[in-house]
Amino acid sequence: MFASSFVGPFLPEIVLLAATLVVFLLDVVGVRRLEISGTIGVLGLGIAFLLVLADLQFSPFAALATVPAGQIDLAHPTGLYAFTSLGLVFQLIFLTAAFLVGLASMSRPSGERGAAIFYGLLTLATLGMLLVAIANDLIFLLLSIELVSIATYLLVAYTRSDARSMEAAMKFYIVGALSTTLSFFGASLLFGAYGTTNLAAIEGLGSAGLPTLVLLGYGFLIAGLAFKATLVPFHAWAVDVYDGAPDDVSAFLAGGSKKIGLFAFFLVFLGPILALKASGASILPFGSGPFNVGPVLQIALGAIAVLTMTVGNVLALLQKEMKRMLAYSSISQAGYMLIGVSVGTAPAVAGATLQIFAHVLMKGGAFLVVAAVVGLGVGPLISDWKGLGLKRPFLGVAFSLMLLSLAGVPLTIGFWSKFVLFSSAVEAQGYFVWLAVAGLLNSALSVFYYARVLKVMFFDGPAEPSTAPAPNAALPLGGIGYGRAAAIGLAAALIVAVGVYPQPVLGAIQAAAQHFVAAGA
Amino acid sequence: MVDLISLILVTLLAGSVATFLAGPRARWVALGVSALFAAEVGLLFLGFPGWPGYSSSLVPGFAESASYSWVHLSWFRVNYTVGVDGISLVLILLTAILQFATILYSWNETKRPAAYFGLVMLTCLGCFGVFVSLDILLFFLFWEAVLVPMFFIIGYWGGPNRRYAALKFFVYTHVASIVMLVGLLALVFYSGATSFDYSSVYAAGRTLPTVTQAFLFLALFFGFGVKFPIVPFHTWLPDAHVEAPTGGSVLLAGLLLKLGGYGLIRWAVFVLPGGFHVDQPVLFFIAFLSIAWGSIVSLAQRDLKRLVAYSSINHMGIVLLAIAVGSSLGLLAAVLLMFAHGIVSALLFMVSGSAHHTFGTRDIASIGGATPTTPALATFAMIGSLASLGLPALIGFPAEFSALLATWDRLGYWVFLPLGILVVTAAFYLWMMQRMFFGPPRGIPVGAHDVPWYEGAGMGILVVFTVLFGVLPGLLVNVILASPIKGFPGT
Repeated sequence: MFASSFVGPFLPEIVLLAATLVVFLLDVVGVRRLEISGTIGVLGLGIAFLLVLADLQFSPFAALATVPAGQIDLAHPTGLYAFTSLGLVFQLIFLTAAFLVGLASMSRPSGERGAAIFYGLLTLATLGMLLVAIANDLIFLLLSIELVSIATYLLVAYTRSDARSMEAAMKFYIVGALSTTLSFFGASLLFGAYGTTNLAAIEGLGSAGLPTLVLLGYGFLIAGLAFKATLVPFHAWAVDVYDGAPDDVSAFLAGGSKKIGLFAFFLVFLGPILALKASGASILPFGSGPFNVGPVLQIALGAIAVLTMTVGNVLALLQKEMKRMLAYSSISQAGYMLIGVSVGTAPAVAGATLQIFAHVLMKGGAFLVVAAVVGLGVGPLISDWKGLGLKRPFLGVAFSLMLLSLAGVPLTIGFWSKFVLFSSAVEAQGYFVWLAVAGLLNSALSVFYYARVLKVMFFDGPAEPSTAPAPNAALPLGGIGYGRAAAIGLAAALIVAVGVYPQPVLGAIQAAAQHFVAAGA
Repeated sequence: MVDLISLILVTLLAGSVATFLAGPRARWVALGVSALFAAEVGLLFLGFPGWPGYSSSLVPGFAESASYSWVHLSWFRVNYTVGVDGISLVLILLTAILQFATILYSWNETKRPAAYFGLVMLTCLGCFGVFVSLDILLFFLFWEAVLVPMFFIIGYWGGPNRRYAALKFFVYTHVASIVMLVGLLALVFYSGATSFDYSSVYAAGRTLPTVTQAFLFLALFFGFGVKFPIVPFHTWLPDAHVEAPTGGSVLLAGLLLKLGGYGLIRWAVFVLPGGFHVDQPVLFFIAFLSIAWGSIVSLAQRDLKRLVAYSSINHMGIVLLAIAVGSSLGLLAAVLLMFAHGIVSALLFMVSGSAHHTFGTRDIASIGGATPTTPALATFAMIGSLASLGLPALIGFPAEFSALLATWDRLGYWVFLPLGILVVTAAFYLWMMQRMFFGPPRGIPVGAHDVPWYEGAGMGILVVFTVLFGVLPGLLVNVILASPIKGFPGT
């Protein structure tokens, strides 16, 4: 039946859309309580997560699968959208990020305004992210990104009273509009070169396009998407926005929504680069060697990756405020992820995917801890966290785990993601080895600023009793709240669990990445 | 049946968790777990007589081994593979002795004792893991896992400048570990080995071209060397050792430095013999530099603990020299020396810690004639100093003697360089003894008392082993030779 075969595969998206509409409609009729909107939002995200798990044929849920197994990983999909196992994995990653943030936000002071709007926008943005993950057409992809962007512009400003948030939202909006323009311009050049916007078709055409036009089109697309993914030199907005946004929203932006930019890189560049490389299309008339379009794009992406991680790390070293430090570290981590796109082999894609998943847990979790700590009346400076690890062992230990994972210490998920990523670059040999070297040097550098926070939390202090009032003092668990404690605990537990035994997660990601790259090549 | 090595790992892990949670009874839990650990290590030794011939078919050359699949992807395989040979067995014995002695010595720790004892046990767990790992990733995991508890031990329980020291320790050794990891990964990917298991790396490493081997060896040497520590990358050591609490210094000097030596022998010398051969001059140069620098700088120290710390650089320089010789005797001497230095430097750090407790200072010049006040402490200090300078019948002697003999075989009269420096070190230890413990009493605070029973017990255990293995070094030598050292470099 047409109807069911059309509706079925989109069940997760439909669930999220329904949750969004219900929350907004309740808001219109005046039901704005945090408990109600929050429960609807978190439930919607949880159900969508299980449905996607079912689509990936995970055993207890496989019976619920709505995407026919034969429709996943098609060789030459023609429609606007296509289900790939890597896309489904990314849907899971996006839903994890949104779920953690939604769960934590249940613990805001219950009198706060805008709860309904927050949850409605959260599910709406997540819906857009799910669509990005199944895009098979440039226009579909860019429109889905737009849906996420618009929802997140509003999320940053949802409190409507904080001047800093408003400023951040304004910056976010202006930069976002510019990046959208660049992306669409690039897409139009590619349409000129290839006569289609279908990604699979573009990939198949390979060298048929006019090399200069193709290179220009991809150049504009790189610039546009690099804004979303916070790659240097298009990163400057991110720190101000993460810093100014409400803490939970920062967690969602850094841990969740910016990853659509990186997944878009996979979709748009991976297959075509490999096809172009194989075809040997050249931008020079005598055409050979390094001036081929494929290698030029690979090297350009590699250079952006190295630049991004280095600039992010060096600036993170210099920060005195916790949120700004985390924001710069988030930029540097995007650089690691881009290595996967530049190298373009199945191992590299798997490594980047695991790194993105890890980053959801580490950075998203870290911002959630920041929100909890700010709720306890602690100031924004790193030095304000003096002695916190001893006074609040739960927050201290969880935050330490997240930072150690960001630094890539063994037995955390961050170790495996870096290990797989860097070893894939070494395995690819040639100039990719230098990407691994740059990544390793950078992660060595990053240890310094993560260890410094540990030092402040555990060795400095005890802190002088703070005079600032604790905004969340009324919440249970000493001002943290059940929802937030659960979200932080879940993130920390996953960091360690996957760190100790990564085989199930890594195995699934590897299989998905192999399908993805095989379909592209 | 679970293999004994995994059982020990589980014991230590469960033991440290239990210690963390034990609250006021933490020290009893820690002591009990240490005793259990020592007993299990004893069991491991009981299996030894059956080894010559190497019972294990799983990993050639290793006894008591076990292997389980951990992460298998299409382009690499990581297994949990553990096993011991003679080299690791001796160093495991050292781990068990030092853990027990450290916990006894720190019996009256008052600052968060549960966390302190738990971190001590985690450090020992990491060291034990390094000694038994036969997979690159597992090895690296334990290697790094040592850093975190030690970072906290130095940073929270240490002296006035502890935060700086902890951070410096962490950053130095972490950067070195990363270089080491790159070296090991490059080894795997360039040699076309199928997995990260020691046996496949061992088989593949020697097939590489000599030039590649030489470069990889240098990378590994840097990674392991910072732990050693080799001059000029040694500056973390004085800071870390001096600022750490006594228990931390004992583990740092006794165990952490040994990781460098063990790693160099196991993962570089055995795996890349061709590269080792090419790089020998570099090793000799660095070894002489470390020996000379360590002793010259220790001459200038007024602080007893700093003196012991710099003499560690000197002694580990001799270990490097013995490794660099590259003969069967040299490697044997290196392992013996590591064991000896582990016991003796631990003893001397405990002495300096006790001196600090009772005199309120470690300044050598401001104390004099302390023997009548603190006879036991003076005795321990004397034994430690004599063992450190290589008096026969104490453990330092067979180790240093065989190291010098091996050097003579290879380098001839160059042996007088380390020999002369040993004489200088000896003179300095005796001079320290003379100033602090002999002569007329001077600068001893009122109420200075001899060492309490638990500190005495901790040092006493170390003295027992100093004498036992000093009189009967054959006990260790036979064990050490149940390894590729016998007949090295072979064919």
